[in-house]
Amino acid sequence: MLAARRGFEPRRRRRREFTALLFIRLTGAFTAGVMALVVGFIAFNGAGAISVPFLTEYPRDAMTAGGILPAIEGTLILALGALLTAVPLGFGAAVYLAEYARPGPLVSVIRLGVLNLSGVPSVVFGLFGLALFVKTFGFGRSILAGSLTLGLLILPTVVAASEEALRQTPQSFREAALALGASRWQAIRQVVLPAALPGMLTGAILALGRAAGETAPIVFTASCAYTLASPGSVFQEVMALSTHILNLATNGTRIEETLPQQFGTALVLLALVLGLSLCAIIVRAKLRKGRRW
Amino acid sequence: MAEQNATETVVISARDVDFFYGEFHALKGVSMDMLEHEVTAMIGPSGCGKSTFLKLLNRMNDFVPGARLAGDILIRGEPVYGPDSDPVDIRRKVGMVFQRPNPFPKSIYDNICYGPRLVGVRAKQELDALVEKALRAAALWDEVKDLLGKSAMDLSGGQQQRVCIARALALEPDILLMDEPTSALDPIATAKVEEWIKTSGLTIVIVTHNMQQAARISDRTAFFYMGSLVEFGKTRDLFTRPRETQTENYITGRFG
Ligand SMILES: Nc1ncnc2c1ncn2[C@@H]1O[C@H](COP(=O)(O)OP(=O)(O)O)[C@@H](O)[C@H]1O
Ligand SMILES: [Mg+2]
Repeated sequence: MLAARRGFEPRRRRRREFTALLFIRLTGAFTAGVMALVVGFIAFNGAGAISVPFLTEYPRDAMTAGGILPAIEGTLILALGALLTAVPLGFGAAVYLAEYARPGPLVSVIRLGVLNLSGVPSVVFGLFGLALFVKTFGFGRSILAGSLTLGLLILPTVVAASEEALRQTPQSFREAALALGASRWQAIRQVVLPAALPGMLTGAILALGRAAGETAPIVFTASCAYTLASPGSVFQEVMALSTHILNLATNGTRIEETLPQQFGTALVLLALVLGLSLCAIIVRAKLRKGRRW
Repeated sequence: MAEQNATETVVISARDVDFFYGEFHALKGVSMDMLEHEVTAMIGPSGCGKSTFLKLLNRMNDFVPGARLAGDILIRGEPVYGPDSDPVDIRRKVGMVFQRPNPFPKSIYDNICYGPRLVGVRAKQELDALVEKALRAAALWDEVKDLLGKSAMDLSGGQQQRVCIARALALEPDILLMDEPTSALDPIATAKVEEWIKTSGLTIVIVTHNMQQAARISDRTAFFYMGSLVEFGKTRDLFTRPRETQTENYITGRFG
């Protein structure tokens, strides 16, 4: 009787089950704990700095007082610019890969490119952006150069998420449209894309969170230490939350004095990124409701 | 179901059709004529090429990489695969209903309007009229006339399949291809769809793996086996007096 074999006795089995479950629970608890620790640490240290003026005013007195409004603005502008860069390119590439491409050398090269792009350290993107957009194209350190650089950085994420969303759209939708006399592009535009859009948007919003948090790419291409006014054109530099923290913590002579500002800025950045992720989760949940495939 | 036609007009004609998926020889020298206003059923064991043949009729195999066709298929004398034939045009004239109901995740109304809108119908009145006509034809109007704005995905499987039929009918095709249209439906929904098929008056080509269904609804039946058309004739004859032993074995349940 196989059932009587060692390892199948109920007690032993239950003990193993218990150990495995315990281990899984512990790792889960540990991960959640670390998360809570990081967020808690930032929140504890940064909460004191948060106030209405902190969010709505310009820095004063060598950054030891005043607010971080230009950095919030700059981060939002750069993230939006990154999205405007990555979404058309990424959605287009994803549609090509998922809908049109037939397996072959070209597709392999694109896939390899996308895969490798996602493994490139962000500082390398920064240098690349500096060389190409800032210098070669002559955009200077600017919103434009920073947005394009960040856009390239998040492009692989957008492509991968969008392609996945397109592939999850049932083949039967395409068949139905084609059989009614739609051209391939009509089928994609009228039926496939609307169905895949929630997934594609979720990917884009998550990527937006990543873009908002990056430091290295914009240090080289877009950010300045201090501005006096909101930017008037895409060729101007901006402050950004991430680089503002970096500047306060590493430059100048007032590092200790600006500690509250540093933590306050970090908290705002964290809230922004987590807020965006939350948005993505809500968007996905909302749009999932209406679909049963 | 037309018992006896005064004039038997050939609507679809296949001549020595061979079809290959890459190296795989999926259809072998198939020749058959399908007549106006008749229901032609295709039966045979799974994988014998029924769907492949059906999809050839409205060029839905065009997208299969590495596929190759030899022989001729004519619809009302026009070559389906001729140098001047337009697949999109053919698909608008030859409707298709699939095995699983596949409504778009849109309202019932928008599902039915999809085809007409593709050919440029925009006027609300005209669309309204087309929707009603198509839904009546698919025997669904009374059930859904007050829910046209509702998502087609919220309907039952049988209703979804009739939405798909209505969606195909909205283009006013005179030929309808159906690939096991009731295999995902319960008996009541199946009965409704069968009833519709028998009374529609369209030229219908239907694949079914259910022999009773073929016997109930079709005028002629084609028996496929391993890519070949083994026997094709009046449904009553094929089921009562099959000429080929393979046909007899299949319809008596000795294989397949
Ligand atoms: N896209 C395809 N590529 C390769 N082989 C296919 C493809 N579609 C169908 N086949 C093969 O062709 C044969 C006939 O398939 P099909 O026409 O779907 O059979 P049926 O509808 O009678 O069950 C099967 O052996 C199937 O595996
Ligand atoms: Mg089939």
